Amino acid sequence: MAFLLRRLGFYLAAFVVAATINFILPRMMPGNPVDIMFSEANSTLPPEARAALIQTFGFATGPLHEQFFQYLKSVFIFDLGLSLRFYPLQVSQVLAQAAGWTLFLVGVSAILSFVIGSMLGVVAAWNRGGKFDSIVSPTALAIQSIPAVVISLLLLFAFGTTLAWLPSSYAYHPSLDPGFNLQYIGSVLYHAVMPVVSLTFVSLGGYLINMRNNMIGQLGEDHVVMGTAKGLSSRRVRYNYAARNALLPSVTSFSLSLGAVMGGSLVTEIVFNYPGLGNTLYLAIVARDYPLIQGQLLIMTGAMLVANFMMDLAYVYLDPRMRRA
Amino acid sequence: MTVKSILAALLLAGAALPSAAQAESILTGVRQTQAWVENFNPFLPTTRVFSTQDFVFEPLVIFNVMQGGKPEFRLATAYTYSDDLKSVTIKLREAVKWSDGESFDADDLAFTFNLLKQYPQLDLQAVWTQIEGFEVIDPLTIRFDFKEASSGVIYDLVRAYIVPEHIWSKVEDPTTFTNPKPVGSGPMTDIRRFTPQEFMQCRNPNYWDAENLHIDCMRFPQLANNDQVLTAAARGELDWFGSFLPDIERTYVGVDPEHHAYWFPAGSAVMFSLNFETTNEGNREAINDVNFRRAFSMAMDRQAMVDIAGYGYPTINEYPSGLGAAFDTWNVPELEGEFGEYTRFNLEEAKAILQQAGYVDTNGDGFIETPSGKPIEFSILAPSGYTDWVNTSQLAVEGLTELGINAGLSTLEVPAWTDLLMRGSYDVSINSIQVGVTPHQMYSLALASRNIGTNRTAAAHYRNPELDDLLDTFYQTNDKDEQFQIMSGVQRIVAEDLPFVAVFNNPLWFEYNTKRFTGWFNADNPVGNPMISEGVPERVLHLLSLRPVAAD
Repeated sequence: MAFLLRRLGFYLAAFVVAATINFILPRMMPGNPVDIMFSEANSTLPPEARAALIQTFGFATGPLHEQFFQYLKSVFIFDLGLSLRFYPLQVSQVLAQAAGWTLFLVGVSAILSFVIGSMLGVVAAWNRGGKFDSIVSPTALAIQSIPAVVISLLLLFAFGTTLAWLPSSYAYHPSLDPGFNLQYIGSVLYHAVMPVVSLTFVSLGGYLINMRNNMIGQLGEDHVVMGTAKGLSSRRVRYNYAARNALLPSVTSFSLSLGAVMGGSLVTEIVFNYPGLGNTLYLAIVARDYPLIQGQLLIMTGAMLVANFMMDLAYVYLDPRMRRA
Repeated sequence: MTVKSILAALLLAGAALPSAAQAESILTGVRQTQAWVENFNPFLPTTRVFSTQDFVFEPLVIFNVMQGGKPEFRLATAYTYSDDLKSVTIKLREAVKWSDGESFDADDLAFTFNLLKQYPQLDLQAVWTQIEGFEVIDPLTIRFDFKEASSGVIYDLVRAYIVPEHIWSKVEDPTTFTNPKPVGSGPMTDIRRFTPQEFMQCRNPNYWDAENLHIDCMRFPQLANNDQVLTAAARGELDWFGSFLPDIERTYVGVDPEHHAYWFPAGSAVMFSLNFETTNEGNREAINDVNFRRAFSMAMDRQAMVDIAGYGYPTINEYPSGLGAAFDTWNVPELEGEFGEYTRFNLEEAKAILQQAGYVDTNGDGFIETPSGKPIEFSILAPSGYTDWVNTSQLAVEGLTELGINAGLSTLEVPAWTDLLMRGSYDVSINSIQVGVTPHQMYSLALASRNIGTNRTAAAHYRNPELDDLLDTFYQTNDKDEQFQIMSGVQRIVAEDLPFVAVFNNPLWFEYNTKRFTGWFNADNPVGNPMISEGVPERVLHLLSLRPVAAD
């Protein structure tokens, strides 16, 4: 219990530091929102209109200290203010629209890649040096080092443009209205295939290699040898004796990736024109929409800390020694 | 197995496109965006839906730029100036109704202009910096009094879009109002469907000019980038759009030569801005010398920029004054004989000019120095996403290197680039100027000293009192001949002094499909600016000229 309380204290401190950085970081980028909007609307606005824009968006370009206290207040009452890029929508509205899609997309692919990657890793380690291992493991290493953008674009080009089997953009067909019916849900799944596959592909290799290496280490341990000597089934030895222990480091990276879920997957969402948080963050950065960037970073910080806390809890469950610590 | 078969069934259901009944004529238009945001408030310039102006709220008058600014009267039927040009009286059209059936009259104008006065942040055309006040004379007549005699205020007045008093007087805060069910005066006011991925805007049941409107609905799918537009365009799904499509003859026209077409008339001028007030001494000395600027201009291989960097889409700009083909009616042909050589690619001549002016390599580093011996060294800035501009800048660097100038290229993100140009902390950058109804806007934005620091177009920080005077007097007369004289003077100064180096005019992007609709503006029917984007009021005229193709 003391362990968990200590961790909670640590997370609170980390949150305050991160929130401050979230405030400073966007403002260190060159350019400011009013001038960007102004130059985007250059064809329709005379130079005098800049004054009008400054008046509208003054809340985001006023003196820094005022902005900072405004921001601190907003963090604690959870009112993130108005977005500039989507003015006059609330930041929370914009994020809420995108969050569901991202949770679905990145969540599903994180779970898929963790489960598939770890399973393959276990098998590869069990039959290490065998045919399966010698093909799958080097392939996984190779895939792991291909950037997400390459895989996304290759898929888009092959299945979206050339073969035209799968849709190249949107979360569902634009002529449908959201509703709980077969056609809508089918459309959502259909549109998610390519982004989910490319995201899964990207992180699958890492889990596989991780799991395989840990597992090989575990297989040489005394308790595994003893399990085998006791005459337990190889299945039992494989999963309950070796895999359970080998899983610990993988759980760390899995929960970190769950934390990153709320950040969305910038590249994949942009390539597939998927309306998630990654896409939103990109728009916000390009427009220097400080309130929206702050809001998004805040969610990411929060999600990351919660994921870490969950990881602590999972460790307590998986590793009995922690319960006494 | 069952889970698998359910999934398969779902995927099949999702893959099958829903078929809609197509009894109405529905036009599919595109304006690239990352997400549609439901906002039909015409006063929120950055987030309003792009079809709010003109299509929901019709302008009083449309000044057709391509026809030399000829007025097309819409909600107004006439405007007349007082003799001293200090006021304008606008006559409104009779029997115009808002889309909810209420009648439109001068009180709506009065309400709208009072709103702009009360909330300066909504006054996007800065009307109230130019007018003293207004008076409603009768329900169809209104007079605006100017602060100074001007024949130019009218262009800004007609861009303040009139909203219905009976709706907007009940709006609590017009600065955050999103106007979800708009009541308007334009041809398309009925928002039938709105999702972030697509919306549909249909005809105004009470439209005053309904007999000329043959389109029932406009559908706007959300498409984020050029690749997505190209995919949809090649499938023949789009009717009216304007995107950069690489190798358009093959990728778009070639797919269906009978129906797919495009027209790219000349639009905004693309030029190189040289910073007259750069802090780098050597560069400043060079840039402030007209000989250097002329040599710079002569090192620009404009034809290659158009053909290679622009895929042949832009229109070359070799006007000595940078005027551009869009304003050819204002051109002063004598300038060509006097200064024409300075805006044509000629490396030998450029080298000779530099040599004569004393630009030689004195310290033996392989690059020329200024006459006083200071080094010249700069990177041309270009916004990283604009690949055609980056390639154009690359060609410029090649030309300058031939002259022995130590020039490089530096690309940066658009906001950072905008920021540097606004602040004037750069040496040389590629840039562009928007063209207005007359050439006055482009010269004024780029070169009037009062605009320095207010927009990135004025990045040259050029100061010339004589030019300022000419630009200020332009709108103090309503006489076309007098205006032409003034504009000739402006062009002479620019041609002689070359404060910016124009290279080509961006195309006005316009692609269309004649499968479902005909009557498009094109090179054979050059009525006006053909684009569907915001800031082009001519798009109403374009919409009204379209006719659906009879279904077979």
